[in-house]
Amino acid sequence: MTTIAIAKKKKPHSRLPLLAQAGPVSVWMILFVTIPMLFIIYISFMTRGTFGGVEYDATIESYKTLMDVTYFQVIVKSLKVALVTTVSCLILGYPFAYYIARKPADVASKLIMLLMIPFWTNSLMRLNAWMLLFQTNGPVNNTLMRWGWINSPIKFIYTDGLVLLGLITNMLPFAVLPMYASIEKLQKSLLEASADLGATPMHTFLHVTLPLTFPGIFSAVILTFIPALGTYTVTDMLGGGKVLYIGNIIKNQFGVIRNWPLGAALSVLLLVITALLIFLYTRFAKIDELEVL
Amino acid sequence: MKKAFAMILALVLTLGLVACGNNGGGTEGSKELNIFMWGDYISGDMVSNFEKENGVKINLSYMNDNADSITKLTAGAGDEYDLIMTCDAYMESLIKGGYLEKLDPEKIPNAIANMNEAYWTGENRDYCVPYLMNYIYVVYDTERCPIEITCYNDLIKPEMKGQIGSIDGARNLFPIALIALGYDPNSTNEKEIAEAYDWLVKYNENVVAYGSTETNMLNGSISCMLTYDGNTANAMAELGDKNTLVIAPFTKDPVQLGFDLFVIPKGAKHMDMAYKFLNYMTDAEVMAGNLVEYPYSCPNDAAVAAASEEYRSGPAFDFDYKTNIFFQKDVGDTIAVYDKYYQMLKVG
Repeated sequence: MTTIAIAKKKKPHSRLPLLAQAGPVSVWMILFVTIPMLFIIYISFMTRGTFGGVEYDATIESYKTLMDVTYFQVIVKSLKVALVTTVSCLILGYPFAYYIARKPADVASKLIMLLMIPFWTNSLMRLNAWMLLFQTNGPVNNTLMRWGWINSPIKFIYTDGLVLLGLITNMLPFAVLPMYASIEKLQKSLLEASADLGATPMHTFLHVTLPLTFPGIFSAVILTFIPALGTYTVTDMLGGGKVLYIGNIIKNQFGVIRNWPLGAALSVLLLVITALLIFLYTRFAKIDELEVL
Repeated sequence: MKKAFAMILALVLTLGLVACGNNGGGTEGSKELNIFMWGDYISGDMVSNFEKENGVKINLSYMNDNADSITKLTAGAGDEYDLIMTCDAYMESLIKGGYLEKLDPEKIPNAIANMNEAYWTGENRDYCVPYLMNYIYVVYDTERCPIEITCYNDLIKPEMKGQIGSIDGARNLFPIALIALGYDPNSTNEKEIAEAYDWLVKYNENVVAYGSTETNMLNGSISCMLTYDGNTANAMAELGDKNTLVIAPFTKDPVQLGFDLFVIPKGAKHMDMAYKFLNYMTDAEVMAGNLVEYPYSCPNDAAVAAASEEYRSGPAFDFDYKTNIFFQKDVGDTIAVYDKYYQMLKVG
């Protein structure tokens, strides 16, 4: 009886700890995520001024421009590159994550550390390193020529291939980490049970391991696909300002071309694509299973 | 709950107010000077000497594109900046729009005495002081470039595929296409601009990369570049005795001569310092020192005379069509048409 009374009495106060935990985060999110995003959406419906400012006349001109076939092509091209990057990261990252997860904890943490070390430097530094390595009279070309494998330097820089390489190396850890978390949780007994019941290793992998680590895979997809779709530094530097993806177009709209409403509309489009992806995820799995380290 | 929320909100807002209130700068004898200009375009000595002489702190902020300064100026930049770099192409609109302070010639005697009149004419004289100028011309490597370049149309020949590095920007690219097609480089005719766009599509196919022209030339990624004279001077100096770069011997097509100039935005807070800086910058010795590090063409005759022999005889300025030039003119509202086609070019 007394316990119930206490419980009842406490109830009005039980919100306070919750608020203490969620309050600051909510304020932060509202101030720095929700309000800026609403502002972007607002700007996307405004008019571009002659000198590139924003004139506060409501219009859907920017969205009409988006319907233009050239933008559609860029979006398709960007989606393709983001997809190839994601798939490559999964194919490279999954065995890697599996390998780490099956190691003893102390070895695993060292391997994870190795994966993270390149990220202690600025990404622009890493991109510059790629450029120096692959430039026309750079070490890669020089070595290949000295070995007699090629006669004239290969043009690596400013090609789609190098952009892709840059993207994959930039995104790989974001694919490995969530998959590692998922695989690490996988109970070995389940695999043994599967083997005992006569499943081949392939069968076990496809019907036990893969489905159970799916949340990790999907988080990896989200964590690589979305940044790969919006990135512009990699494509700007390794693509030479010629290979343009949606991130570059957005950056150019806010920069040199100064069409902020169109840039905002393109950003909204990216938001929609992202939201769609998250929605898809919720159809497959519970959102709270999303593995994010 | 509401209380806690209100308190946090109040705290955040107070912090915001404190941040806003702290922009100092009294009116009597300014202690700071805020300049908005291109990055990597002014020597550190030039800045620090001025700071020492006047007991003032110069805050430099950098633009990425000429358009940035226009955006700032038209949004009313006087609160933020005291001097803004812009180019000749936008002066007419800026003056007409009333975005600039009219200059008092008595406060800039050095500019009056030293500047070449030919480069500082008309109404511009009342509103701006030129800083440096640059030719935008074609340079190629005699050993690696497949053909000799003597006009803009050579740049779109199929032999040049994968050979060209180029500076970027609508108002740098469209004029060369318009000239190649025999039109006015500052055309306001949409039909002509559309044709120029078609020309640039072909040019774009031959271009390896936009920007970093001198780096790409030096590392062998390109053999021909549309670039500024200052970048060429750096590239040639880097190559030294092994220089095989030449300025394309153009016979007929004019090249662009652009000016980077300083204006005082309407309502600038530290006008006294802005004037002092303009006068200091146009001093022959000061500018000559700056030319050592930034060897661009200079409209300041006295500074050129005082500059090093190395600068004056530099191979990057040694070409014989220096007077066959065109300027970027203010095209008014047509800039939107240029932007539209430039965007199409960039989206590809």
